[in-house]
Amino acid sequence: MNSFFQMRQVTKEFGGLRAVSDFSIALARGELTGLIGPNGAGKTTVFNMITGILKPTRGDIIWNGEDISRLPAHMITARGISRTFQNIKLFGDMSSLENVMVSFHYSMDSTFLSAMLGLPKHRREEKRIREQSLKYLEEAGLGRLAFEKAQNLPYGLQRKLEIARALATGPGLLLLDEPAAGMNPVEKNELADFILRIREKHEITIFLIEHDMKFVMSICERIKVIHYGQSIAEGSPVEVRSNPEVIRAYLGDSFHAQG
Amino acid sequence: MGATLFVQQLINGVSLGSLYALIAVGYTMVYGILRLINFAHGDLLMVSAYAAIYGILLFSLPWFFSFPLAIIATGAVGILLDRAAYKPLRQAPRISLLISAIGASFLMENLALVIVGGVPKPFPRPEFFSHVIQAGDLHIQVLTIYSPLMTLVLVLGLLYIVFKTRAGKAMRAASQDFETTRLMGINLDRIIALTFLLGSTLAGAGGIMWAMKYPQINPFIGVIPGFKAFIAAVLGGIGSIVGAVIGGFVLGLFEILIVALLPGLAEYRDAFAFLLLIVVLLFRPTGIMGEPVIQ
Amino acid sequence: MNDKLKFCLNIGTLFLLFGVIFLFGRYGSGYQIRILNDIGIFITLAVSYNLVNGVCGLLHLGPNGFIAIGAYTSALLSMTPAEKELNFILDHVIWPLSVIQLPFAVSLLAAGFMAALFAFFISFPVLRVRGDYLAIVTLGFGEVVRVLCNAGQSVTNGPLGLKGLYPHTNLWWSWGVAALAVIVIKKLIDSNYGLAMKAIREDETAARAMGVDPFRRLMLAFLISAFFSGIAGGLLAHLITTISPGLFTFVLTFNLLIIIVVGGLGSTTGAVIGAVLFAWGGEALRIVERPMQMGSFTIPGIPGMRMVIFSLILMLVILFARKGIMGRRELSWSFLASKFAELKGTQTHQ
Repeated sequence: MNSFFQMRQVTKEFGGLRAVSDFSIALARGELTGLIGPNGAGKTTVFNMITGILKPTRGDIIWNGEDISRLPAHMITARGISRTFQNIKLFGDMSSLENVMVSFHYSMDSTFLSAMLGLPKHRREEKRIREQSLKYLEEAGLGRLAFEKAQNLPYGLQRKLEIARALATGPGLLLLDEPAAGMNPVEKNELADFILRIREKHEITIFLIEHDMKFVMSICERIKVIHYGQSIAEGSPVEVRSNPEVIRAYLGDSFHAQG
Repeated sequence: MGATLFVQQLINGVSLGSLYALIAVGYTMVYGILRLINFAHGDLLMVSAYAAIYGILLFSLPWFFSFPLAIIATGAVGILLDRAAYKPLRQAPRISLLISAIGASFLMENLALVIVGGVPKPFPRPEFFSHVIQAGDLHIQVLTIYSPLMTLVLVLGLLYIVFKTRAGKAMRAASQDFETTRLMGINLDRIIALTFLLGSTLAGAGGIMWAMKYPQINPFIGVIPGFKAFIAAVLGGIGSIVGAVIGGFVLGLFEILIVALLPGLAEYRDAFAFLLLIVVLLFRPTGIMGEPVIQ
Repeated sequence: MNDKLKFCLNIGTLFLLFGVIFLFGRYGSGYQIRILNDIGIFITLAVSYNLVNGVCGLLHLGPNGFIAIGAYTSALLSMTPAEKELNFILDHVIWPLSVIQLPFAVSLLAAGFMAALFAFFISFPVLRVRGDYLAIVTLGFGEVVRVLCNAGQSVTNGPLGLKGLYPHTNLWWSWGVAALAVIVIKKLIDSNYGLAMKAIREDETAARAMGVDPFRRLMLAFLISAFFSGIAGGLLAHLITTISPGLFTFVLTFNLLIIIVVGGLGSTTGAVIGAVLFAWGGEALRIVERPMQMGSFTIPGIPGMRMVIFSLILMLVILFARKGIMGRRELSWSFLASKFAELKGTQTHQ
């Protein structure tokens, strides 16, 4: 399998507590994979390790042939992995447009000096960044709200803005942490379409965490199940849904199986 | 350096350290609960000293009335400080609190300047504290012994309150998890006021000791010792009472011994404390004792 | 409002400014010129300080250190060897300072670079921490610089300081540098670089996740701020012609803090407004420290009253009007144009 993203036996320990043990996964280019599991199973910890916010205690994370497990977060983003957050972390006091424009910063050509002197090369680049950012906003249906402060956006649109912002970094792998949380069914359907559209348009691989089973089953091609930090199942939605281990894990934690 | 001199300096270091410790405890307690560096804390030293002076000079109180009253007054000023400068900003961004603390500090210093004038006042040190003990070649001021003793007694008293009383338990809970403590119905404002009271009282005691050791009092005497005490608190692990005490003694010893060993660098003694801070923050930011929780 | 129009308006304003400077330079009283010089220098200081504290959101309490470094560097380089001989009575000044003399402009540049160099080195410990720790470390840095200036007899002449500096600083210098600082720093803040800094202020983790390297970005702000603070220090030195370590205490930092908080933390316009108010009002407030005649009464001057008032202002602003005058907003031509249009609109309706 052409797996250009791999996690191999990744473990995270906090003092005596083992949050994630021996987690392994391989993603193929263009795949849409889901990561599910009861609350506290370690899903966000996995995401945090991939994106460099946490460093694994053991194991490696291979991206495009390179072990990125020890790199700082901003370098991992520069190498093509981007994410959204479980608790929305937008730049609240900045406009939607500005939020997206930040994502172009790491790949800027012009120096700070050219910025301070207002050189033409810099102004051209700023113009280009602005135009491209507007495109990302429009793609997410946020074009009209470009100059609205991010903290004033309605909740559902804030989540979409986060996705647009992450897309603007130009990733090859996009991690979505509970993108549908708090949305109503209509918004969730729109979101599902949106995710499928961007996957195709930008040719990216998507790895997402979600609690809403219907949502996950409807768009993910493959699902990985994690419980108490360990992987307990992996496969297609149908396989996972009928896996006794998975059912036991969820029922044991009083979970509603939707759909 | 001869053995006698060394012992002499050791004792001096411990004595100075005990003063830093008393002030450091107040910093660490407030930081543990509010995550705030109370810039105005060092100035309480000055407040206590002046209160004692006025008690003796203006009201002709004997020192054993004036001193405790001054210390209590300082405790009250501490509570007032919280009410006026910090309480209104409980929900504000951290930078606002820090700025308020700086403003409060400057206000206290300059208000004192306006009230007492720019001429330094000599502190009337009672006979009781002025004896000198002779032990062989050593000349030890009795004050040098009283300071660490005082610190020990006060700190033990404080530890008793923090660990053996309900109020103390509430303080420890609040420093671990502010929100949850509030949700459990504990009156946080009272706990915070108590924290300030205790910390400020100790600072007040430290202020009196300091004033007897360095009897020229001006409105700015709290500035440098305040910073050093803060450094001591960081050194010991900010949030830890025991850490603050340890940090205080370590800093006091370090300061005295550096100057004793390298007298040419005496002018830089204040800078050393800051350099020590930078080193600590670089290599072990959690200090000697660890987590920012009152412990 | 298109860019061309804005550009013309900006150029126009600059010409207006320099016209005013010219007039004051020619016809103004000594007192007025001194206040204007103060304002100019404080504008430079405030705008560069605001870059770190307001835009990046760091509580940097050590600008006094950079100002001192700039002041001393500029002074030591612009004085003639003979002047230095006169000053350094306790200890000879070290070589090459003993023989070197540079033109004022060069000394200013050197002042800026020297300050920036120091900022570079302390970035490493300072930017490892945030919040209160950063505040204390930068405060410590400012103090250490002052202590070093006091003790470095053969470099800075210790507590005696440097006297008899040539008063190079005039309105053109102080306002020229101020205009440059405002323009250049504003451009940086309005660029993607500024966005990155604001993003770090809003949510550092999210900024990192979007590819921003906080260390490099914050260090840049720190260096630029130090650079301009250093130059302002040089201007200050050649304005008051006497410098000593006592000039660069934490009080200076405190004053800058008041300026940017009252003006509005994060707003360049606010920093300018705050600087004007402070330099002007600060002068005006000096009267409370001198005896005043009111009819047949003489109200005695109260030393320290000025600082009490300043502290009160800071406290009142931070407690009740935390956003200051401008908040994070900026005054812009577009804003003025829309206000103008509103006014015209209401007039036609009548």
